[in-house]
Amino acid sequence: MVPIDLLKKIRFLADLPDDIIEKISPLAQKETFHPDSILIRQNQEQHLVYMLMAGKICLNARSDAGRILTLDEITPGRSFGMSALLGNAVATFSAVCTEPCEVITLSGDQMRQLFASDYTAGYAVMGRVAQLFKDRMNKHTWQFLHSLSIHPAINPV
Amino acid sequence: MVKIQDLRQIFMLESMPDHLLALIGQEAHLSIFSSGTCLFRAGEAVDTFYMVMMGQVALTVALNKEVDVILENIQSGRTFGSSALISGDPAVYTAVCQEPCETITLSGARMQTLFETNHELAFYMMAGVARQYKQTMDSRAKMIMKTLEQHPEMKASIHDIETLTPAY
Repeated sequence: MVPIDLLKKIRFLADLPDDIIEKISPLAQKETFHPDSILIRQNQEQHLVYMLMAGKICLNARSDAGRILTLDEITPGRSFGMSALLGNAVATFSAVCTEPCEVITLSGDQMRQLFASDYTAGYAVMGRVAQLFKDRMNKHTWQFLHSLSIHPAINPV
Repeated sequence: MVKIQDLRQIFMLESMPDHLLALIGQEAHLSIFSSGTCLFRAGEAVDTFYMVMMGQVALTVALNKEVDVILENIQSGRTFGSSALISGDPAVYTAVCQEPCETITLSGARMQTLFETNHELAFYMMAGVARQYKQTMDSRAKMIMKTLEQHPEMKASIHDIETLTPAY
């Protein structure tokens, strides 16, 4: 169980109504991880949503040819692994602690059980996930178009 | 009105309980469009959610004045126009029928009104939409990664590279 005031420090949860955060609170776990702990491995199924309270986490992606790109550095208040809420979701990146980290985790299975028994909570959380994924997907589209527009084959120097 | 067995052909609705499909069926309309029909243009408000039964719809974006990029070809069983169900944001892409198309359509405004009173329906629809966004998001991220791998010098000119990951 994680107190509501701590959960409200997480950007993803901050705007949810209090009564829904109260239902999430008993399902949340606080954990600490050493530097170099691997929280998520790319291409493996995601079971947990991670919300960082303290420390720093790198999100890395390995390309098909084996090259590793660091895509993001997660700082406190941010979350990742939302796909665990959908079930049967495979991670597209690895998450590695670069410092000692304090993390709140939510089990995807337990959250889906909550959603199945409380559709109001399910709608509130899943509506937020859909909106976040949509915003992110649109950004991907613009990034993809930008990468095309500067691609040497399309825009030769 | 659309039959439950027709709605079952839509991937996003596969796990939807029958009583919810019946509700959607009451709101849904079957529409047939001829080849070349533009369903909406980039920048326009999206007020209808489309589920393709037959045919193919191209989702395109203008890269510049001379080049149009086809982001995706939507075929039977797939959907587009999800913005109508959540935000009413303007369309990012233009949707054009590549061949004669049979689609099931839902009014975004009507569905959003239903969501306010039927949270079970709202939850199932949002979960379906989120899954679809995740799939598209992952495939776009892969394309960008592949491009960056072949042309690492491009990394410096792609801003917001951190947004390739679904972290918030």
